[in-house]
Amino acid sequence: MIIPKEIKQKPLEYIFLGFIFLVGLILYFFAGFNSHNQRLIVYGLSASYFFWSLIHHYKRGDLHLSIVIEYLIIALFGIALLTFSFF
Amino acid sequence: MKYFWSNFFIPQEKNNHRASILKPYFLLLLVGFYLFNQSVIKFVSLAKPGILGYSSEITAQKVLDQTNIERQKNGLEPLQYNSVLSESATQKAQDMFTNNYWAHTSPTGTPPWNFFKNVNYKYSVAGENLARDFYDTDSLIKAWMNSPTHRDNLLNNKYQEIGIGVVNGILGGVKTTLVVQHFATPLNTITTKTNLTSITPIPQSSSETNNAQILSESQTKYLSPLLLSKIIGLIIFSLIIIVLFIDGFITFKKNIHRMTGSSIGHIGFLLVILLFMLYTQQGAIF
Repeated sequence: MIIPKEIKQKPLEYIFLGFIFLVGLILYFFAGFNSHNQRLIVYGLSASYFFWSLIHHYKRGDLHLSIVIEYLIIALFGIALLTFSFF
Repeated sequence: MKYFWSNFFIPQEKNNHRASILKPYFLLLLVGFYLFNQSVIKFVSLAKPGILGYSSEITAQKVLDQTNIERQKNGLEPLQYNSVLSESATQKAQDMFTNNYWAHTSPTGTPPWNFFKNVNYKYSVAGENLARDFYDTDSLIKAWMNSPTHRDNLLNNKYQEIGIGVVNGILGGVKTTLVVQHFATPLNTITTKTNLTSITPIPQSSSETNNAQILSESQTKYLSPLLLSKIIGLIIFSLIIIVLFIDGFITFKKNIHRMTGSSIGHIGFLLVILLFMLYTQQGAIF
């Protein structure tokens, strides 16, 4: 199995990221059609992803402003996409 | 020209080994474009109510049939259709359009039970389910069945009768279909019962019946603002995720080390958002 180098270097960090995604998915499906709870879960997941990125890049030693902005935009795009389309 | 475009999508020396589309300023531009489009859709919905809207295939007959199928699956007696209860359900839907709210209790404090009283239906036990923005009955019933409180109403063995209101109108500037289910068991058995052999066409809300132009518009297919939002969002979403895959694949093959965000992380996050979108298909219930 081919594993990308960045995962090989920091496997625990990516396992933790996978865990964040898994918890987000489980909670979202349990929320059913309750849009208020679903919205809270999306906010929580996006914030968790953003904080994970800060820790991940801080440990890698390349926590630059452009990287922080990149993660922030991706996280906000995820929120905007679901908020405008469904909630 | 070829090199110009490849700069946007393929990591290479010229773009510092990162597809230009994934650079923060370009991502910001894409998200800004998306937000601008949403603002335009919202503005059109409010400025010209009814131009954007939801065209539903839901009928009271289908809602009744599907409800009774679910009850029979769970070993319960089917509910009897009651035209008086349907009148109270229709009045409730029309009241939501007239007073522009989406709740069991109106902003003026009118509870659902007042609509039962208005049509002179005396009950020993009663309940109400609401839904909006659903395109088909299957998804609507699925949504209700997935919600414990709505499921309790659908599968409550204390109820004997049901009335259904399916009304088209404009709510919050957007044309939509509201579905109201009124469940009850009458205090006496003399209440009017009707065998549902045919359902009349979907009634229009009072504001529409007085407007021939809007009435004629209801015959046309409307473009849902929700659908429009989804399409624009999905185009931008697909563009970002495809370029992330290309970017990840090329940098992995060439073993390039860069100081950028993790493509694997971005792909994972966006795929989770995609799963959310697929799960949250349509509509809202209350």
